[in-house]
Amino acid sequence: MSEQYEVEFIERGDREATFLVRGVTPAFANGVRRAMLADVPTLSIDEVRVVENSSVMFDEQIGLRLGLVPLTTPRDEFSEGETVTLALDVEGPGTAYSGDLVSSDDLVSPAEENVPIIDLKEGQRLEIEADAVMDTGKEHAKHQGGVAVGYRHLQRIEVVGDNEAFEQDDPRIVRGVIEAEGELVPAESFGNDLTNRYEGKEVEVHDVPNAFVFDVETDGSMSVDDLVLAAVDSIGDRADELAAAVQL
Amino acid sequence: MTYKCSRCKRDVSLDEYGGVRCPYCGHRVLLKERSRDIKTVPVE
Repeated sequence: MSEQYEVEFIERGDREATFLVRGVTPAFANGVRRAMLADVPTLSIDEVRVVENSSVMFDEQIGLRLGLVPLTTPRDEFSEGETVTLALDVEGPGTAYSGDLVSSDDLVSPAEENVPIIDLKEGQRLEIEADAVMDTGKEHAKHQGGVAVGYRHLQRIEVVGDNEAFEQDDPRIVRGVIEAEGELVPAESFGNDLTNRYEGKEVEVHDVPNAFVFDVETDGSMSVDDLVLAAVDSIGDRADELAAAVQL
Repeated sequence: MTYKCSRCKRDVSLDEYGGVRCPYCGHRVLLKERSRDIKTVPVE
């Protein structure tokens, strides 16, 4: 990887962000993407103790649903393999939601309050105790912190001339973010169609070498910032491990 | 270990002489109740 790189945010939210990274190789960009998906540990329910389940679903099915509820995972507070206990006790009629889960640790709570777990009718009851364990996405997809993570090349648009008069413009669809006149423009701002932005012009689209636009969305277990930093740290840790192992 | 009569919904305990039959209403269909033990389920 090159020494010089730059990061520029196009959109920055807590759970969703778009940012441009310049000066990294495609291999590194993909490494970051894969680390975000598979190597950042998050807490997820891994074992359920069923005290009472008079609902219409099997214990195993409810366990699976609980496992998929994202739990907030503060960075650097838990190490892999650590557990947190949660409890749920809901009596029908009504719906058991993820927000009904009570955590033993103040730092850990369901990232979304309104994930339905099961609809309970009169006289039905669900009482469980569950252990959430810290693990990575490569072990099970429920531990994936990043849910929609991808990148694409930054594309530079150059106007090379005018179209001939009365010629019908064919749509020229681009996605992501383009670089035009030295500015970064999200393609959504002109309906993803270059003919809207450059009417009657002939344009050329080139990939900018070693510049990648990342689109990152998390499941709510951590912020985008934490996810990206944890992913990059995990690559660094593994590089150190490799260096120590081969004694460079 | 109790069963539940499917007709009169009462709890029934079986003895070895009575055979499979509800002592209250004579119904022969008894349902086995879920154990009260805590069951541990791994989340796959």
